[in-house]
Formats: sequence, structure tokens, C-alpha cells
Amino acid sequence: MTKTFQPGDPIWCAGCGHYGVRNALQAAFQQLDVESHQTMVLAGIGCAGTLQNNVNAYGFHAMHGRVLPAATGVKLANPSLDVIAVGGDGDGYAIGCGHLVHSFKRNTGVVYILMNNGIYGLTKGQNSPTAETAEQAFDGVQLGLSIAGSSFIARGSSAAPTQLQKLMVAAIEHSRAGRGFAFLEVLSPCVTYNDTYPKWAGRMVDVDTITGYDPYSRTGAFTTVHDLNAENRFATGLIYQQDSIGSERQWLDSGQAAVCDLDIDPALQMSDFREIMDDYGV
Amino acid sequence: MRANQLTDLNVMVAGQGGDGSLTVTSILGELLARRGYHLYMSRNVASRIKGGHAAAMMRGSLEQRGCQGDNIDILLAFDQEAVDMAASRMAANGVIIFDTSDGDLNREGLADSIDIIEVPFGRFAVRDLRRNLFKNSLSFGVLSSILSIDEDEAINCLRHSFQRLPEDAIVANINAFDSGRKFFSELPQQPDLRMLANVEREKHLLITGNEAVAFGFLAAGGRFFAGYPITPATEVLEWVQKYGSRFNVQVTQAEDELAAVNMALGAAMTGVRAMTATSGPGFALMQETISHAGSAEIPLVVVNCQRAGPSTGMPTKTEQSDINMMVFGANGDFPRIVLAPGGPHDCFDLAVQATNLAQQLQCPVILALDQMIGQDSTTVEPFNLEAVVLQHGKRVDAATLQEMTEYRRYEITDDGVSPWAVPGTPGGESLVTGNERNEWGLVSSNPENRRNMVDKRQRKLDSNLHLLPRGNSQGDADAEIGLLGIGMQLGVIEEVWQRLSAQGVRIKFLQPRTLWPVLDETIEFTNSCKRVYVIEHNQAAQLAHLLLGEGANKAGIKSILKYDGQPFGAGELCAKIQQEEAGQ
Repeated sequence: MTKTFQPGDPIWCAGCGHYGVRNALQAAFQQLDVESHQTMVLAGIGCAGTLQNNVNAYGFHAMHGRVLPAATGVKLANPSLDVIAVGGDGDGYAIGCGHLVHSFKRNTGVVYILMNNGIYGLTKGQNSPTAETAEQAFDGVQLGLSIAGSSFIARGSSAAPTQLQKLMVAAIEHSRAGRGFAFLEVLSPCVTYNDTYPKWAGRMVDVDTITGYDPYSRTGAFTTVHDLNAENRFATGLIYQQDSIGSERQWLDSGQAAVCDLDIDPALQMSDFREIMDDYGV
Repeated sequence: MRANQLTDLNVMVAGQGGDGSLTVTSILGELLARRGYHLYMSRNVASRIKGGHAAAMMRGSLEQRGCQGDNIDILLAFDQEAVDMAASRMAANGVIIFDTSDGDLNREGLADSIDIIEVPFGRFAVRDLRRNLFKNSLSFGVLSSILSIDEDEAINCLRHSFQRLPEDAIVANINAFDSGRKFFSELPQQPDLRMLANVEREKHLLITGNEAVAFGFLAAGGRFFAGYPITPATEVLEWVQKYGSRFNVQVTQAEDELAAVNMALGAAMTGVRAMTATSGPGFALMQETISHAGSAEIPLVVVNCQRAGPSTGMPTKTEQSDINMMVFGANGDFPRIVLAPGGPHDCFDLAVQATNLAQQLQCPVILALDQMIGQDSTTVEPFNLEAVVLQHGKRVDAATLQEMTEYRRYEITDDGVSPWAVPGTPGGESLVTGNERNEWGLVSSNPENRRNMVDKRQRKLDSNLHLLPRGNSQGDADAEIGLLGIGMQLGVIEEVWQRLSAQGVRIKFLQPRTLWPVLDETIEFTNSCKRVYVIEHNQAAQLAHLLLGEGANKAGIKSILKYDGQPFGAGELCAKIQQEEAGQ
């Protein structure tokens, strides 16, 4: 067996919500028999953006805010990989928010786990877009629901590990089924700068406990999320999903091959190259 | 060839954007190409969809040329502004065909020797043909008459140019053309007719640099492209959209340049050859990711088709003012390669090399184009597809990995290049990161490790200089006067070199094709000259400063700078050099 890197220990503070995220992700990998070499974990910048160092997979550390386009490039080039993008709320809701919008719209089969702690932790405690003062102003779930292409929107919590593992499994399965972009926000407190465990306790409502809740209804999901927010509570669980076809699956369905599998020897397509040259012939 | 035949013909068609200037030059271009002429075609447009002064320029020459000619032999002007703008460049024995639909020609500033033919094109077209659009075919009727081209030959070219139109539309255009011929034949005062040569030449390609760069990328195995529209680089994206499907190329139009470059980066990590293309403002946005590719050691090819800056600048005008940004931009020290092609053929060749070099050295490779190289069409020899050989560098597959006792993604090696297994390869699990890290990819700020890693990355360039494209040089090695320029300057410099050599001036030139790292041959060239004219399109003499920083003798460097958005003409540049030399 070739010796290669071994996952390191997390840099997180004791009690950090991100431990719960990593544990749930590893448990989901195990549950789904995910092969480490077929998995790529890409991370943004910040405390959340170190998770790739602590799991056994191919890992990539992206630029701040750019984890989604990088993950999209990976998935489009090699759709057979399980592509997991992770990052914090600063990474995904502030500097990288434009890419989040377009990832919903493009619907490429990336799993995106956004660890929301309402704070910039690694830079020691500045407000993020979801900081308590601005909490009503920015809700990634509502943002996702407002974009017609979105196909999987869920929210979990580090404080609810069983539900979190279930949501991660569902997100990976959504991507594997070729249905597209799976967005999972995890309420993952920063115990040092914004300990929201007590603040968030009792405010989370699992949509599975709402009688008649239909995750395939966008308007129903929007109403529920909106009404709970108005009551200063959060919807959790699998909030919205649709059986769409992800962009990488559309590519394959159109008869094109995964670009990572192509034989690119120019000799194989010499006649095509010559035809193009003929178009320019004078 | 007869003595009175034109060996070098420059035609300008100008009016308001949307007048169809490009159509007339493309029909005439088709005709000249069939007569064996080489072509150089450019346009001068405003940054708007329709309207604004727009000109198409076409040079037909028996010798291959890489720039516009000095003077305009025939001007087809659809309005007075077109004449005013072209007046200073009109050849003394030139012809102006003027559209009098909106009033008579103001002849102020025009030499008496210029032949003027006034035609009420618009009204003509509306009266007899009911559509203003036909004025292009009408003008081609007049133009072909002056050039003494017989009717059959002209109609043949017209048909070829409109081959995608329905037959009734083609017939309507031929009727318009006939009206033009008739108008000319009934002119009370016939101008002297010009004669074209008719020579044999091998088949060439008429292609732009943007198209050629995309073509080269595909030929070199490029299969992923992400871009964001920006003038004057958009054609690279459009080309891969148009031709990519038969090669199974993944093409994505991203939400911005940040997404485009990061998508390309992501695809590149999977081992797919990936590219993005942009212009100055977009390239500025991509800086952070280029630094990231340099640190994380990811093969990435970025095309920067430069336009006049700073900021939004003049989007449709040419410049070479991103040299500093391409060579020195972005945070931190990291190895990068910047290649600067000198024409469409070079664009193809260097795109192939860039795509290979990125794989070989696992670093960002930047292709430095400029608007003129990117968008002007030139006849070039067919690309040598057989010469395209793919280089894979130190990619390792699953079988090779199994034989290794250890796989360290950032292994410190003699040549600085580490083995590389892409995601999906069993046993190659590893971390790719822009953080400083140890050989395993784990984050490290250990001082010794840091030094070793920085040195390792730099070694990729230092130990592989022999892989980098050599410059294009001509002239007497002992000549004391040198010309040096990159990109769009090549065509002009070649012509200046020919003219001055023909006058007995001992002169040589160099077009460095590897802009960074600066090769020894470049500095040897500058320092072998008593005076070397460094010709560039920017105000800050960015290229000259680059050379000075790498050891060029300051005393010998003479900068010739232009930053008005217009390319140098060979005559203009010759005059400047002769003036400088006279003062020595």
C-alpha cells in the first residue's frame, strides 16, 4: 500500500460546532460506502475551510469565496466524483454569495455544506451576514428557495447529529442521482466568539414534525420558512427538493462523455481539425 | 506580373457602425485571396452595438504582412466623418468613393490628385432596391469596376460571400451590384482604372489570433473552457462554443471572471486541460486565483487579450499595458510563464505550448495577446497539426502509484516538479492547497519547510528554461541597431526591418515569445546592440523596464511608445527610428 497523507487533527476550539459537521460527514461517507479516492472535499477560507484536512479524501483549499466555482469545475470535468464543497457563512453568504446564487441556478451536482455560525471566527469575531443583529436580513434558505433552478435545500444543526447525518446522506444521494446542486446549511456555533448553542436552542423546528409538510412544494416551503423566521425560529430538515436534472447529468445525457475520460490524442481527431482549417481556407 | 499591377493595396470602408463596412471588405478580401494576395484585415469600431464611427480596413499584398499599410489607396466612405478621419492617411493617387446621400463631400484637406467618385448610395438603394442594406453590394459594384475586375469574377465572389443567404436575397444583391457597375460605366469622368495581379500561392488560413489561440488549445487536448464575455477576448469563448462540441469540450459561460477562472482551476485539478480567456479588467479579477494556481501547483492557461486601460479604458482599442500585471501581478512569489505570440500562427503554436507547459510545470501559463493580434484577421500558413505532441509531465496513474512506496503531492524534487495523481485515482488521496504546506499537503509554517517549498516551486522554472519558446529574430547578428517588440509589434517591426535593411541600414530585430521568465537570449540581444528600440503600446515603457530589471543595458534602450489606441504603421515607425538615428 502506497503511503500517502493522513488526515490531520482539526484546528477548531474544543466544543466547536464544526466537529459535529465533520463527524456527520464521516458517518454519511461510511453509511454510503463512499470511496475515499472517488471523493473530493473542497473548502473555502475560515475555520470551516479546514475540514478537508481532517477527512480521508482528495482535498482542496480554495480561495476565499470561490469554493463553489472550483467545485463546479471539478464536477463538470469529472461527474463520477462525489464533490463536497464546504465553507462558512462569511465565505458563502458574503464574499462568495454571487456564486451561491448562480450555483442554485446552474444546478450542477455539487454538495455544498455551509457552516453558519454568524461570525467571522478565524479573524476573531467580526460580524458576518448572519450575525444576530442582521439575522432576519439574510437567510440562505430563503435565498435558495427564491431561485427557480434550486433543487435541494436543507438545514441541519451540529446540535442534532442524527438529523445532520441523515441530511448529508440525502444531499449526497441527490447529487449522485444526477439531480443537481444540494445545499445544506448547518447551524454550527462558534463557542469562542458567538456561542449560539443556548441562543439557538429551542428555536429550531424540524419540518418533518410539521403535519402535511411537502418538501416538493416551493411555495409551501417558502411560507413555512418565512413564517418561522417571523417568529424568530428556524426551519430545519429537508426543506425543499425537486427531481430536476443536474447540469453535469444533462451533459452526459446529451451523449457527451465526461471530459476527464477523453483520449485527447490529436491524431484521433485529425480529420475534424482539418475540417476546421478548411473553414478558414483562402 | 505587369508593372502597373498593384502589389500592395489598402482599402478602407468606413461609416457608422451597422453600415456593413465589414461585408464590403470581406467580399473584396475573397476576391483578392483568389488572385493570390495575402490579406490583413482589421476594424476600428466604437464600443456600442450600432452607430459610432466604424471602419474596416483591408490590406491585400503579394508579400505576407502582419499589419495595416501606411496609406489608404481606396476609401469607401459612407459619411463625411469617415473622410475626415481617413484624410491624413489617403495616398496621393488614391480614390475616394463617397456616399452623397446625406450631402456633398467637403474636400478640405484632400489632395487634388485624389480621384473622387460621388455616389448617392443610400438613395440609389432605396429608390431602385428598396433596402438601404444593399448599398454594400452597390459599392462593391463601383469598387470592382475601379479595380478592373470583370463582372463574372466579381459576381462569383459576391455569391460566395452571401452563400448562406436564400437565393432571392443573393439575386437582389447581384442586382444592386449591377446598379453599381452601371453607375460607374456612366460616369462622365472615368478615373484611371487600377489593375490587380493574379498570382499563384499556396492555400492559407484567414484567421484571427483569438480564434487561433482557441484552436491551438483544442489541438493540444484542451477540453474545458470557462469564460465571461469581455471585449476584445470574447471570440475565444465563442470559438470553443462553436467548435468545441465535436471534441466533447465542456464550455461554461460563468457569472463573472472569478467564477470562470475558478471553474477552470477546478477542472484542471481533475487532470483535464483547462483554459479561461479575458481582457485587462477580467484579468485583474483573476489575479488571486492565478496566485493560487502558482502556489497550489495547478496547470492553468489564462489568455489575456489586452485592451486600452486603465480601468474600463477603451475596450475596443489595442494596448500592451498589462505587461506588469501579467508578469508581476498577484500576491506572493510563485512561478509563472507568460508567452506572447506575434500573430495568429504564433497564437496557435504558443497555445499548444502553453497547454503543454502548464502540464509539465504544474503552474499558471498566461498567453499575452492584444486587441490587434486577437481580432485582426491575417492570412497565415496552415497550422502544422502533425507537429502537435502532447506532454503529460509527471502525472501518475493508479498502476504507477501502486509501485511507489510513498506518494507526496508536493514532493521536493531536483527539478521542482512533483508527481501528480488526480482525484479518482486509488491511492492518490492528497491535499491540494494554496496554504504553505509540507510535502504531504498538510498546512505548515515551519521556516525550513517554507524555504524549501518556495525554492522548489521556483526550481520548476529555473531548471526547465529549455522548454520555453525561443524568440523570433532576424537580421545581421553584428548589427548595432536592434528593434524589439512583442505581440502586435511583430508585423510592423518585420516590415520596418525590411525597409531599413533595403536602405542599407544594418539592423536586426527580436520578438521575444517568452515574456516571463525573461530568457538570456533576450538580454543578450539587447546588450549586443548599441541602440535597441523597444517598441510598445503603453505609456510607462513596461517592456523596457522588464528588460532593465533583468540586466539590459540602460544606455542602449530607446523606448518608442504609443498609447492612443491605434497600432503603429510601418512608415510611421520607420520615420521615428530614422529621426532618432539622425540625432545620434
